[in-house]
Amino acid sequence: MGSIAFEHVSRRFDNGAEGLHDVSVSFAEGSMAFITGHSGAGKSTFLKLLLAIDVPTRGRILVGGVDVVRLPRRRLPLYRQHLGAVFQDHRLLARRSVFENVALPLRVVGMRERDIARRVRAALSSVELLDKVNLPPRYLSVGEQQRVGIARAVVNRPRVLLADEPTGNLDPELSQSIMGLFRQFHQIGTTVLIATHDRALIDAFGGRVVELDHGALIRDNGAAGDSGHG
Amino acid sequence: MDDSRIETNPPAHEAGAGNQSSEASAAQEGAVAQDTRPPSTPKGAAFPWESERRPLGTFFRDHFREARESLAFVAGAAGTTLLVWLLMGIALGLPAGLYVLQANLAGVAEGWRGSTGISVYFEPGAEAGVTLALAERLRAQPGVADVRLITADEALTEFRDYGDLAGTVELLGGNPLPATLRVSFDAPLAAQTAEALSAGLRQEEAVEDVVVERTWLERVASLSALVQRLGWVVALVLGVGAVLVTSSSVRVALESRLDELRVLKLVGGTDPFMRRAFLYLGCLYGLGGAVFAAMIVSLTLFTVEQPLVRLLATYGGDLELRGFDATFLVVLLGVGALLGVIGSMVACRQRLRNLDILA
Repeated sequence: MGSIAFEHVSRRFDNGAEGLHDVSVSFAEGSMAFITGHSGAGKSTFLKLLLAIDVPTRGRILVGGVDVVRLPRRRLPLYRQHLGAVFQDHRLLARRSVFENVALPLRVVGMRERDIARRVRAALSSVELLDKVNLPPRYLSVGEQQRVGIARAVVNRPRVLLADEPTGNLDPELSQSIMGLFRQFHQIGTTVLIATHDRALIDAFGGRVVELDHGALIRDNGAAGDSGHG
Repeated sequence: MDDSRIETNPPAHEAGAGNQSSEASAAQEGAVAQDTRPPSTPKGAAFPWESERRPLGTFFRDHFREARESLAFVAGAAGTTLLVWLLMGIALGLPAGLYVLQANLAGVAEGWRGSTGISVYFEPGAEAGVTLALAERLRAQPGVADVRLITADEALTEFRDYGDLAGTVELLGGNPLPATLRVSFDAPLAAQTAEALSAGLRQEEAVEDVVVERTWLERVASLSALVQRLGWVVALVLGVGAVLVTSSSVRVALESRLDELRVLKLVGGTDPFMRRAFLYLGCLYGLGGAVFAAMIVSLTLFTVEQPLVRLLATYGGDLELRGFDATFLVVLLGVGALLGVIGSMVACRQRLRNLDILA
């Protein structure tokens, strides 16, 4: 259920600009890839379409063989429950503790309290923040907040993990640390797509790179560079 | 997101998402719907992300948590909450008060029904023999329960008992009051029967006037019907008002928690899940409003009871003003809660549908 395929996907906006133009690309289940390009290239549009926050004006987006563009509205939450998303600005809830922030996806699916506690602690342990479990996010550093965001994204064990500029605000050392976490999740079979314009980061980690420019796919080192897990 | 500035158009299923104007959004939605979005999953591809059945315990746990958080919100915004309760109290209190008034009027009518009768007023100076003879004849009539003769002297004595008017009689010198027969019947009289009897009695010797007491009963009954109908209209209008008050108040609460709602939607929160806390909030607003309404009605009853009792006494009515009972209070609370929940649903339906996840 973690395979992804864009088939001739275009997204045209009201002002005539094309966020994506006839993009066809696929990612095998459990793969890891970077989506890159300059500002305005279409990276965020790519991820928004995958999150079903936006819909293309043309084309199909298949996730696990299902065209998410055609999903009825009532099924979108169920679809999103199986995705993990990390954002540059973390999107943490200031009034809730780290635990409650990470537990949100589990509460949404109605998990038992003891299972929530176990899963949240496991997720926070994987990002080395177990000692901050009861603190509100404002007491954490930027890097720690980003790691809480990652813990929240993976706590529900998603089949697909999407990250939009996850290291945008971080220093190189922290960026390496965050990328190491993504690699860990990739190694356990999660499909990981990371949108970033940080060439140095991509060069440091290698793997598959899909490059967009003005909404068009201009480079894909494809299967040769596709980071299969393990 | 480096390029989010230009990539904010809403999808068809997230109407309103994005930073562009709603008009632009609507136009975009139309374009998308034309191109891509049939209403179901494509044939041959089973939907692989069905939700698992939730344990019952988590259902109650989630409801308990939402109720608790809503209580905390209400307590944390005491000024706003009191204002909403007061507005809701007024909106609920007026129809509730009219209901209590109508119930009391119905009670008055019911009380007078048992004493439905006729008063026969003789000409001043009518001979005692004439009045006694008519009284005897009436007593012999079938269906007549009692005939009471009040002589002119007895009437004067009775009149003097009204302290405020005693001096007036002294000014007049003589006794201007007539002898009277008060006739009561075993069963309430039909209007036609009463009128026929009245017409016959007017033909009797020395009879000046005949008053059917049923007239008052009919007036009270008419007034009761009017108040009842007025109550329904007021309840309908102010019920809509109560829904709007709750809706606006819940909308404020919604706006203050948009960040949380966006995250919830992003991680797969369904609309019912996100709506739940606000339904509890609306319910609390409604319940508080109902309590305020009960207080307003009680205060009003307490204030008007004495003057109203005195007023009805002048018409011969013996009124014990009835307040409201436990059933009335339960119904009032139920109606308040229901209106509050409806108001919340109105606010949530509109706002959650248009929620821009990545704003």
